[in-house]
Amino acid sequence: MIITKNIKMADVIHMNYFTLSVLNRFGIELGFGDKSVQDVCKEYNVDSDFFLEIVNAFVNKDYFPKKNLQNFPVKLITDYLQKTHDFYHKLKVPEIEQLIEDMVESCYAQKDNMVLLKKFFNDYKKELANHTQREEDVVFPYTIAIEKAFNSEKPDDSVFVLMETYSIDIFKNEHDNIEEKLFDLKNIIIKYLPRPKDHKLCNKLLHQLFNLEQDLNDHSRIEEKVLVPKIREMEKSIIKRFTKG
Amino acid sequence: MTKVTFAICEKSFLIRKGLVSVIDKIPDTQLVQQIENEEEFLAFTNNSEIDYVIINKTFLKNIALKEAIKQLSENSGIIVLTDNSSDKFTEIIHRGIIYLNDSQSIILKNIKEITGSNTVNGKSGIPEEISKREADILKNIALGYSNKEIAEKLFISTHTVVTHRKNITRKLGIKTVPGLTIYAIINKLIDINETGKLNPDTHK
Ligand SMILES: [Fe+2]
Ligand SMILES: [Fe+2]
Repeated sequence: MIITKNIKMADVIHMNYFTLSVLNRFGIELGFGDKSVQDVCKEYNVDSDFFLEIVNAFVNKDYFPKKNLQNFPVKLITDYLQKTHDFYHKLKVPEIEQLIEDMVESCYAQKDNMVLLKKFFNDYKKELANHTQREEDVVFPYTIAIEKAFNSEKPDDSVFVLMETYSIDIFKNEHDNIEEKLFDLKNIIIKYLPRPKDHKLCNKLLHQLFNLEQDLNDHSRIEEKVLVPKIREMEKSIIKRFTKG
Repeated sequence: MTKVTFAICEKSFLIRKGLVSVIDKIPDTQLVQQIENEEEFLAFTNNSEIDYVIINKTFLKNIALKEAIKQLSENSGIIVLTDNSSDKFTEIIHRGIIYLNDSQSIILKNIKEITGSNTVNGKSGIPEEISKREADILKNIALGYSNKEIAEKLFISTHTVVTHRKNITRKLGIKTVPGLTIYAIINKLIDINETGKLNPDTHK
């Protein structure tokens, strides 16, 4: 089902409670009574069309009207992506770390195995940090510069220098699949780890891993299916308009 | 050893009895509760301390139970019961699926696998999921050798190593080297200390 601006915000969460984290990133807090998506967005000063695109893309993997989303300013997209990165590092990763730590503490019989999981996730955490850091340091600033040049009558020379050494397709090619290791971790816990003593803890951890994996999936989809094509078009147009031969 | 506890949520009397007899056959298990309808289900989820809940898909499809099921899945492992072998249930976090048309031995094997009842602690040797040859290759991957090095060590072509790797990944559902390494350690194919020299960034 497609979410529209007249649907109650509360119903969006009823439909799929994972959307809570999307709301969170837009700075929208609970307690919106029966207000519609549009009204809540207005209250929080959020572009409701952009919100709808993101939340629909999140809820429904097949729903992806790229055309619509493509009309938004690049900054709106990168701000959202940036907030998602923060959400991973400040919230999700520490939550998972804590759960693994609790499992190490509570599971004497399998201490060695739990320590393995801990090390695995610790390595993963570093990998994720490198991944997002590179995007924030290199990719996002690049996209903003391209958009600026695209909107300008006479772009600064620096942008052409930049475009000689970097392009959005370089990012696309080096953008690695950051979900793979989470997928492995999940399977190890579900299928191969001898039955842990504390089932509740183990289930909670799995919940968190599923949750993060799904969120990362959605995040990468926005990077690769929205940001990349949008910037690629702009690059082409800039080259066509401002360089000769 | 504490027993693995089960609950069954199923409206059909006959299917419930069938499941009871199957669970009975697995050592160290205990059936704690049988739930016949929605009211019982809602009352049950409030104070569930049960390891696994086998639940008919009609309960999952019931919107009124959505919150309760979500809560349940946080405390217990959910095993879905369905008559349709193409059902996937991606919208709910579950540990496995039981198909009504399966034979007793398959259902038994399935439940044992899900609950880990056939994983004996401290067991060593070749895990049943993979062949002896694949176990050899997996061991070397976990030790940090490249495809080429493994080919030379085992006197086979690099191409063969690649094919084996693909099969291992497909069978185990594990794609990355660090993931495979953990699997190898858990199954005692290699010792944890052997991996000390490994640097996870030097190989793919
Ligand atoms: Fe990102
Ligand atoms: Fe990314």
